[in-house]
Amino acid sequence: MAEPTHNVIIGNGSAGNGAAITLRERDPDSRITIITMGSLPFYNRYDLPRVFRGCDDWREILVHPLAYYDDNRITLRRNSRVTDVDGRSRSITFAHNEVMHYDQLLVCAGGRGYLPEELSDYYGLMHGFHSFEAAITTRRALPEGGTVVMLGGDMIGLDLARTLIDVGYRVALLANEYTFWPHRIDADERGGFIAALEHMGIEVVDGMRPVAVEEGAAGTPARRVVFDDGGSLDGDVVMPFYGLVPTAEFMLRSGVDIERGLLVDPQLHTTDPHIWAAGDVCQIWSAADNEYRFYYGWTNVRQMGEVAARNVTGTNEPFEGVDDERLHIGKDGHILSPFWEH
Amino acid sequence: MAEQRESTDIQFAVIGSAGDGTIAAGDILKRAMAGLGYKVIAFDIYPAEIRGFGKCISRVRVTTEQAYSLKRHSDVLVSLDDSYAIPHVGEVCDFGAVIYEASPIARQPEGGHITAHIRPTQLPYGLNQREISERATNAARSRNIVVLGYLAGLYDIDPQAFRDVIADKFRSKAAIVTTSNTAAFDAAYEVGKTVFKLDQGSLGEPVHAREGETATMMTGNGAIVRGCMDAGLDTFFGYPITPATTILERLAAELPKHGGRVLQTEDEISAISATIGAGYTGARAATATSGPGLALMAEMLGLGVMGEIPSVVFVSQRGGPSTGLPTKTEQSDLNIAVFGGAGDAQRIVLAPTNVDGCYRTAGKAFEMAEKYQTPVVVLLDLYLSNRYETVVPPAKNPFAPSMNKGLDAWRGEGAYQRYQKTDDHVSPRAVPGDEGGMHTVTGLEHSEFGKPSDLPENHMAMSAKRHEKLKAALTHPDFTICKRFGDEGPVDVGILGWGSTFGEILEAMFAAQAAGIRCSAMKVVMLSPLPEQQIVSFMDDCGAVLVPELNYEGQLANLISGALGRPVTRLNRVTGAPMQVEEILAEIRRLAQAKAA
Repeated sequence: MAEPTHNVIIGNGSAGNGAAITLRERDPDSRITIITMGSLPFYNRYDLPRVFRGCDDWREILVHPLAYYDDNRITLRRNSRVTDVDGRSRSITFAHNEVMHYDQLLVCAGGRGYLPEELSDYYGLMHGFHSFEAAITTRRALPEGGTVVMLGGDMIGLDLARTLIDVGYRVALLANEYTFWPHRIDADERGGFIAALEHMGIEVVDGMRPVAVEEGAAGTPARRVVFDDGGSLDGDVVMPFYGLVPTAEFMLRSGVDIERGLLVDPQLHTTDPHIWAAGDVCQIWSAADNEYRFYYGWTNVRQMGEVAARNVTGTNEPFEGVDDERLHIGKDGHILSPFWEH
Repeated sequence: MAEQRESTDIQFAVIGSAGDGTIAAGDILKRAMAGLGYKVIAFDIYPAEIRGFGKCISRVRVTTEQAYSLKRHSDVLVSLDDSYAIPHVGEVCDFGAVIYEASPIARQPEGGHITAHIRPTQLPYGLNQREISERATNAARSRNIVVLGYLAGLYDIDPQAFRDVIADKFRSKAAIVTTSNTAAFDAAYEVGKTVFKLDQGSLGEPVHAREGETATMMTGNGAIVRGCMDAGLDTFFGYPITPATTILERLAAELPKHGGRVLQTEDEISAISATIGAGYTGARAATATSGPGLALMAEMLGLGVMGEIPSVVFVSQRGGPSTGLPTKTEQSDLNIAVFGGAGDAQRIVLAPTNVDGCYRTAGKAFEMAEKYQTPVVVLLDLYLSNRYETVVPPAKNPFAPSMNKGLDAWRGEGAYQRYQKTDDHVSPRAVPGDEGGMHTVTGLEHSEFGKPSDLPENHMAMSAKRHEKLKAALTHPDFTICKRFGDEGPVDVGILGWGSTFGEILEAMFAAQAAGIRCSAMKVVMLSPLPEQQIVSFMDDCGAVLVPELNYEGQLANLISGALGRPVTRLNRVTGAPMQVEEILAEIRRLAQAKAA
């Protein structure tokens, strides 16, 4: 009897999991493996702000019950970092030195937070929000009613800011060109959106460029952000939100074309016949824009995973992103992003 | 309001290859936890081969409440070698942790790394064991200590308890050994302390011993040795055999310090012969062996019965028959212990059920051997011999220094008769050198004077004497020959058990009670003579009687059925591993449901 097709998915986010269940539905006999660097099963990243509302247990934010993986015969490889993909031998190498064969590969590795080079030396003094573990660690560092200094903002950070203010923390935002990422904001709109942020309770510091993060002096908050003009802003934690960059380094020797992300056609096919990509890791060819572009947000990313999985199993369906990607100001004067919908 | 204390019940399994330090890691872990005041049950599994390959497992159950056996599912699995640990990942409970080498050097085939086998319900913790060890000690061989440091940090366990045990363990080696291992431990402790804990990361407060008591860790064989010492053992003769060898080794180290003698004989026949010879002279004498050795000793045991000579034989059972499974546990020597040998050669057979029981039974065996002038066989098994438990040794020596019915009982009335008929069927016993006590001892049937006699009425009378005198052992002072646990009065299911399996039986019984099944269990410590009255009384209360045993034939079940003519339900396993609580519980449920139907 022939070996079942081994469909391997790198990435345990909404794209990867959307792809996995679609593959299972369309190819019941296949072997499906999801690979993730994380320690936890699939949880909703958009639910992470709940951590600041007191959610301590990762089981509360899981998208599926734990039996889901066995029920759907999906193997979940956690704590497994891929270091290399060889498109010719169709093999994956892990950091732990294991080699895995695949028949079809879906790269749904997502993106990681971007940090400008001039701040990279201070990474250890900043707090993250990229995972449940990071969110919990940040919350534990934050005293009741404490101050979060957000660098940049972006839609992930602003989503968190809404919750932080709602539960009694203070948020100071150093606004810059990343503040509304990934929305593309016209210059004449920006002032209105900044005002909306202030209306939401966020203390906006606009136009200042951070150049250093330091530990706070005795008797002051734990962190101090230093600006290029010598000024500073104190806070209990400092969190960078400068948008995402694709997590694609492990694909460099795979043979597929890469620009910033993996380049895929509208059907999410890379230049390798056995490799597809979906989610924040890929740039999709847009004939309308005549360029490869990223699509963000839960809805887009999930849909990409499902489309890629359908195409892996024989269709030739193009991905079509959500129509409206504009940032809005709601009736309450608060900003509203379609990327927050999930 | 009484202070609420969080209870702890966590089982660690350290798995690696021979040479990885797996057993040493388990040893340090259990000693550290016992030192902190937790109750500990631990058991090691290792290959029959001496070194270099083969799977080693050290399981350590740490509790604040009394536990009676290891659990089927561990809460933490530590892999020192994925190739051996992978088959055991399924034994880790839901939300249990799997700790493994995150950066193995060797290329792994697909599925060769343990992450391929960790289920979504389990918690993966990758640890750079080799790297931490090399950074701390310039060598990778302290990986076993690294995992201990990580465990201590992860579960917020006092690191000093480990440091103390490490120092004690390596005190006979160069100081650098302790220093480097402690450095490895400390380095990994910091990693464990700071790693993100995926689940509750600390244990409940330990239960400290009552004032005046000192809890200590002991194996079953260690407790046998302690019991022998406290009972005043004079001489020990032994021939090495797994899993009884450590009794010989430890007595060889301890007994001479207290004026006793240990001799390693050329084989088991010599060992039992010398033991009986020493017993004949009035010494408290013992030997220790396993099933194959007991088979060789059978003829001399018959001489001990016929000559009414005290002796004690400790038998640690392993898988059989023949050479069998030298490093696997089994309870299949009950038949030979009770019946082995020529003729009607009844002797006393005792089987302790836990480590504390090993201590008490060892000491009492010498009392019984003297008091009833007979060989006494004490049945252990590999699981009990090697199992560690925390025990609190008695403050006062509980064993009588002598129970010999000596020439004082003869009072010099008439000629001395070594095998004189008496009311309690036990004759005054002279030992060499007792004035007026000269007599003959022979393996032939004999008269009251010890002279050979094959007269029919003599053989009838002497056979009766040798059997009748043993009945008094059923009421031997300060010794539990059998004991009932669980529900009183009529029950749906009763469980009869013996030896090490009784721990699993108790755990299963408690689980059944929690599930609403009326249930009792009886441990039978004295297997010959069988406490028939107590067993019948127990069985009368039971809707069904289950007898779980680690043998194929159902040797206790046969003994009970044969002696009492009562049907029992058998549960027999010969996997080389201890009986699983869940297997017993399933059978209890089935029997309870059948009764309800």
